[in-house]
Amino acid sequence: MRIGVFVCNCGTNIAGTVDTAKVASEALAFADVVYATNYMYTCSEPGQQEIQRAIGEYGLQGVVVAACSPRMHEPTFRRAVEKAGLNKYMFEMANIREHVSWIGNDREANTRKAVDLVRMAVGKLRFNQPLFSSKMPVNKRLLVIGGGVAGIQAALDCADGGVDVVMVERKQYIGGKMAQLDKTFPTIDCSSCILGPKMVDVSQKENITLYAASEIESISGYIGNFTVEIRKKTTYVNWDACTGCGACMEKCPAKKAEDYFNEGLGTARAINIPFPQAIPKKAVIDAQFCRQLNGKKCGVCAKICPVKAIDFEMKDTIVTEKVGAIIAATGYDLFDHSVYGEYGAGRLPDVITGIQYERILSASGPYGGHIRRPSDGKEPTEIVFISCVGSRDQSVGRPYCSGVCCMYIAKQAILTRDHLPESNSYVFYMDIRAPGKNYDEFVRRAQEEYGVQYIRGRVGKIYQRGDRMVVQGADTLLGVQVEVEADLVVLATGVESSSGAGELAEKLRISYDQYGFYMESHPKLRPVETNTAGVYLAGACQGPKDIPSSVAQGSAAASKVQSLFAHDMIETNPQVALVNERNCIACGKCIQVCPFGAIQWKELRGGIKKAEVLPSVCQGCGVCNATCPPKAVQLQHATDNQILAEVNELCA
Amino acid sequence: MLENDRNQLHKLVEEALPELDMMIGWAESCDPLQTTPVFIRDAKSISKLTLGPFCSQNLAGYLVKPPALDAPPKPDAKPIGICVKGCDSRSLVALIQEKFITRDRVRIFGIPCRGTVDFRKVAQRVPLANVKSATMEGDSLVIDDSGTPLRLDLEEVLARKCLGCRYPNPVIQDVVIGQEAKPRSSSLAATYRDVAAMDAKPLEERLAFWQSELDRCIRCYACRNACPLCVCQDRCIVETREPRWLTQRVGIPEKFLFHFIHAMHLAGRCTGCGECERVCPMDIPVTLIKEKLNKIMEEMLGYSAGLDPEAVPPLLTFNPGETEI
Repeated sequence: MRIGVFVCNCGTNIAGTVDTAKVASEALAFADVVYATNYMYTCSEPGQQEIQRAIGEYGLQGVVVAACSPRMHEPTFRRAVEKAGLNKYMFEMANIREHVSWIGNDREANTRKAVDLVRMAVGKLRFNQPLFSSKMPVNKRLLVIGGGVAGIQAALDCADGGVDVVMVERKQYIGGKMAQLDKTFPTIDCSSCILGPKMVDVSQKENITLYAASEIESISGYIGNFTVEIRKKTTYVNWDACTGCGACMEKCPAKKAEDYFNEGLGTARAINIPFPQAIPKKAVIDAQFCRQLNGKKCGVCAKICPVKAIDFEMKDTIVTEKVGAIIAATGYDLFDHSVYGEYGAGRLPDVITGIQYERILSASGPYGGHIRRPSDGKEPTEIVFISCVGSRDQSVGRPYCSGVCCMYIAKQAILTRDHLPESNSYVFYMDIRAPGKNYDEFVRRAQEEYGVQYIRGRVGKIYQRGDRMVVQGADTLLGVQVEVEADLVVLATGVESSSGAGELAEKLRISYDQYGFYMESHPKLRPVETNTAGVYLAGACQGPKDIPSSVAQGSAAASKVQSLFAHDMIETNPQVALVNERNCIACGKCIQVCPFGAIQWKELRGGIKKAEVLPSVCQGCGVCNATCPPKAVQLQHATDNQILAEVNELCA
Repeated sequence: MLENDRNQLHKLVEEALPELDMMIGWAESCDPLQTTPVFIRDAKSISKLTLGPFCSQNLAGYLVKPPALDAPPKPDAKPIGICVKGCDSRSLVALIQEKFITRDRVRIFGIPCRGTVDFRKVAQRVPLANVKSATMEGDSLVIDDSGTPLRLDLEEVLARKCLGCRYPNPVIQDVVIGQEAKPRSSSLAATYRDVAAMDAKPLEERLAFWQSELDRCIRCYACRNACPLCVCQDRCIVETREPRWLTQRVGIPEKFLFHFIHAMHLAGRCTGCGECERVCPMDIPVTLIKEKLNKIMEEMLGYSAGLDPEAVPPLLTFNPGETEI
């Protein structure tokens, strides 16, 4: 094989600590290398032209570029060699930037290591084979998982572009956390007034199929051709018939059901439509509280329902949908503040969370929009807000900033003053994080126009004194201890990943961080893509986010889907597993370990069984290859011989 | 007692043979300290079958090695009868777990085992050519070499694997022949005492030990061929060019690599039957390498291979929940 080696200076990024000219001259001495040079910026247009010129002039059959991470520029160089007539897999990249020049200052050692890496790449290249992709049709339907504001935005954008959208929401209504909010910062506009029309759009668009009260059971397939099984959970109400009239709710005698929508501040009926604007506006029976379902004589709802929609015998059903792309928009949950003993650990009834306070402020909330405290229904006059409850606290495993709490505290303090002009609000904070457009001005307004008292310091203890609570804390700016007698304490509970985020990530085969937030493909340059092709992210499932950012990500993910759907066919990745039937001993271990179900049995003449890889399903993870005892399964472009060649070169 | 057991075996095999494709067992050989595997299809040969402390071979491997492996069983094929000791039965279970054989393909004659004699240990005490007969009496092996009968303590002449045996009675069987046997070990510590002794040595000493032991290896692959779970046989990657993991070069690195590939391929599968070590013509304690892995499997994953036909070996499954390991 005639091999050319191109060593990139990357300006001074590499050349600063690696003698690239020496790397090139040493590479020229390797077997099969007929041309080697170094270049200022190999990825630049002239740099690529130099590679293409050398391919023609020296009759190169393979190219090695020693430069940055292949994650960065492998596609660039593959295109360049392909344009010059080589198969794009007759190309290898040696990473001498992230793996060499950026991590050490010893020029001599760096140069030696760079030479080793180039020798390994040349060694592997000798065993490379041309690989060819095939074309697969794209199913131009989209699955959106999660019906919060990010998912809604993504679904509407795609539906507007003519894409068929399937939306799955595990709650019985869409709208997510935003539907529970009263007003939104920094404009104080009504949350349900701006979200409501979008929710209605979702239900009215003909090309959006909504599965509420449903969860993802399984996902198989690959970009352009996913098959999704959706579990429609038992609601005990036939939604095709239910008109949302609410007659059942009025008559239901089980009045002490948990009111999830109002965050436990009130009670609900066992058969319930959580709020008047709910989409879909359908009733659901809470089996935990329903009398009939707990063996008592009842069935009132079934008698009263004018359309006979109640079905106590209902079971979960599974529906299958085929889609070509998936947007995960599963949102977030709120930190459980009961781990903080000093804040009452959930025992003090008038220590509530920010989202509970939203429900109190809301006109459709449990108190009709009048601020009262849960214990005795009194109007509070002294209200304390505590920020960073489950944020920026290593001791509870939440070192990150939730990003939205500073802003929603300011909003809630402003609204409190609007509702109760005689009241006093205090905010205990660590730092004020208000980096958005008009955000800092908003916090200043709370302090300057609304007289909210900001106290920089943490609260050490909250305890009951009479019918009030004493909040003890430190004012670290004045260096004194402060004590506030409060009627109501609002904890700014932080954002954490949605419950079950990890399980869904496993089904989607995307990665997630230690806190359960989904990993984007690149933190700056690929913020809504995942490392699984065809799966995109929107909203707080990727990390704590406010409404504007979630909506922006919803639209961004939608645009990614639409650019994918602009193609009728996509190229498959030929870097997949392949079985050498002659070596296969039919032990079936590869079938057992394949995480993607990409390997199946194939029967030859005489009933002899062999393993067979479905190239379109294979993700190229290599687990089969590692498991196969005779190594009959080989991962194309990372075959045992290619890797052994690298190891041999390294040990040579 | 042994005579009774042998008669019982002959009787049971005689009854079963018409329903069997064949019977695999042990027969006496010219050497009183060793037996030979025997394959019986007709009733006349049943009398050849024997059992006892010299039946050291694990016969389970014959069910899955070529040509058995190459030709898929015919749907109407009769089951194969096979004699197994406790350790051999675990190999059968492992093969059933990995779906190389189905349970209904085998008729298992289970034989509780009081330990098998390693003839090489006897040879260190008495020239093998002189041995006329040998019998097990209680805790000793009595050797008749035409002089005064020589009594050898069983602990001195049993195979190494037998000394720490926890499963002398078959874990899977259709019929059982003879009395239940008492395990020689009931603890992990006793079973893996040789591993622990090795682990206690400094790294350099261990390396030196394996270098000198494995240097004797002649790469005859007897250990691999005898292993009932080494099912690749002539597709074994130590002999292929595609992929080419090993060359035929004679050197310690190649021998190391071969033995460690063998061990890694058995990780979480090896039942510790000791066949690899028994057949080694160079007396290399190769089972010890696998014992180390078995110990790790038991301690880390709480798994012993070849006990439950329904269990999925932990290294042969993909479980996304296993993030802690």
